Amino acid sequence: MPKFLRSTASRLALVFAGLFMMAALLLAGLLWWNTAGYLDRETDAVITADTRAIGDRIEDFGLAGAVQTMNERIAADADNRGIYLLTDPRLRPLGGNVDAWPLKVGPRPGWYEVELVHRDRLHMARLLHVTLPGNYQLLVGRDVQDRVEMRNLFLRGLAWAGVAALGFAFFGAWLIRRAVERRIEGINRTAIAIVQGDLARRVPMRDADDEFDQLVATINRMLDQIQQLIEGVRNVSNAIAHDLRTPLAETRARLEGLLRQPAGTDVSLDGIAAAIADIDRLIGVFNALLRLAELDTGLRRAGFAQVDVAALVEDAAELYGPAAEVKGLRLDSQAEGGLVLNGDRQLLAQAIGNLLDNAVKYTPAGGRIVLNAVRQEDCRIAISVADSGPGIPEDERTRVTQRFYRGDASRHAEGVGLGLSLVEAVARLHGGELRLDGNNPGLRAILALPAQA
Amino acid sequence: MKILLVEDNQQVAQFVRKGLTEAGHAVDHADNGRDGLFMASSEVYDALILDRMLPGGVDGLGIIEALRRTGNKTPILILSALADVDERIRGLKAGGDDYLTKPFAFGELEARLMALTRRGQNSGQETALKVGDLTLDILSRKAMRGGKTISFKPREYKLLEYLMRHAGQVVTRTMLLENVWDYHFDPQTNVIDVHISNLRQKIDAGFDKPLLHTVRGAGYRLSENA
Repeated sequence: MPKFLRSTASRLALVFAGLFMMAALLLAGLLWWNTAGYLDRETDAVITADTRAIGDRIEDFGLAGAVQTMNERIAADADNRGIYLLTDPRLRPLGGNVDAWPLKVGPRPGWYEVELVHRDRLHMARLLHVTLPGNYQLLVGRDVQDRVEMRNLFLRGLAWAGVAALGFAFFGAWLIRRAVERRIEGINRTAIAIVQGDLARRVPMRDADDEFDQLVATINRMLDQIQQLIEGVRNVSNAIAHDLRTPLAETRARLEGLLRQPAGTDVSLDGIAAAIADIDRLIGVFNALLRLAELDTGLRRAGFAQVDVAALVEDAAELYGPAAEVKGLRLDSQAEGGLVLNGDRQLLAQAIGNLLDNAVKYTPAGGRIVLNAVRQEDCRIAISVADSGPGIPEDERTRVTQRFYRGDASRHAEGVGLGLSLVEAVARLHGGELRLDGNNPGLRAILALPAQA
Repeated sequence: MKILLVEDNQQVAQFVRKGLTEAGHAVDHADNGRDGLFMASSEVYDALILDRMLPGGVDGLGIIEALRRTGNKTPILILSALADVDERIRGLKAGGDDYLTKPFAFGELEARLMALTRRGQNSGQETALKVGDLTLDILSRKAMRGGKTISFKPREYKLLEYLMRHAGQVVTRTMLLENVWDYHFDPQTNVIDVHISNLRQKIDAGFDKPLLHTVRGAGYRLSENA
């Protein structure tokens, strides 16, 4: 395929040119039928009438009458377009304005369109051949050279118009192609830069707000998302390197220590139990990471069902209540009735559980934790866990939901630093968000989730 | 009990086999799906432990489906490295009775296996459950011990009922979380332990002989004998 035709824009332009030409041809055909065709039909009617008149004369007045009528008509024909010829059965002329029977007119009566010498010129003529009583042959016709010339003129015009249309089509195709190419080039160049590793590149916008700008905006959003994900992966790798390496190193050291015990001493069961506990902690981190990865794919949405928020909140408070009590904390819960959302009960319970777990962990004895669920003004359902603990400094709040992030205050507490990331991922999966506010004193974590429509 | 283990990983198979044999069970082992299916359908076992991904053309789910089609109702515990909720549901839908994700603690496997094989025994229509001198009335949801009536909050009742239905068996924290609370995730802290100690307060406090025992490294057991 030639290079020009490989371009989508060119092909598009050519298809449109083709359609345009077909429409033009249809129009020309209709025009021809209504004008030239009309003239043709008129001519045929006149010829038929003439033939009938002359035929009638021969019946009423004989041969001489017919010849006379013919001559009268020839004389009356000012533009000299009429053609008349009457012959005997052996085709010898008896009268008329043609010298001899035209060779191209056959013996059978009917319509003929032939060239014959008329007015000393070779002209196109339309002829009707009839056989009269007594086997006399009558030929009546009209010189239609004008019409033929008109038709040729028309066709020539049409051909030129076609050539011009084709030219315009190619020109248009070239214009469209150049315009499209120029827009695509930006996307192409950005894509190449990204392939070469420059992830920060974005496709330039034109501010034309056309389809291309919309496409470019979508592509740029996609690139933002990809960049964010890749950075996420990078962060996770760093965090894994840090948070998994430490317990792995501990476990390894512990096991190797057991191995190096002097021969004959009993292997310490406590050492083995501690190693298993280390490994269980590692498994916990892996499970949390896998669950986060699963949440990030969004596949869990397939299992969404109606969840009664009041029951969800009540169950969570019931599960964590005793643990709070043991720490000398009061856990109160309340939920508005009739709140229903479309989601995954297990994940939501785990998210609320993580928030309660944090609250129990970080709130000092004598404190209070309040779990409640209300319908917000924007119709979303807000499930919040508020505690009277130390809270999180404002500048740290956005960072605590990052994977493996641990605030300075919690660096030595139990846990792997994935709890809030998981809550945030669950919120995102449900089309909502996790917000962290101050509680004066303490922290108020709010899961804002869309209610079921 | 006679147990069939179908597991291709030699290390895991040896670990499970050793543990179950020490606990007094007879264990047959197949290391591929075809042999596993053949053994499961030609001999009578009290329980099957099946790995999901197996060599030999037939995987764990294939074995379960084939057995269930022929009317074989042997309790089946699925072992799998596939931890997704969907995978779990697929396993149970195919006809598995319980699902345990690798890696697992042997105590968890044993407890679940015991729960499966004795499940049929006291799920009848009795109106009272009895362990030692503790009687739980299912209709009134109240317990009696030593002439003292004990009443429960709804969840405490469910917890005690589950423990009593599995009396004498070890019940792990995960099993309690799944069966009493219907939660399938790790709640991180020791929330279950606190519930257990509250329950212990109600049924054991003031009596010489405790009924609710903690099994180190595994879970809990409700029984007359320590």
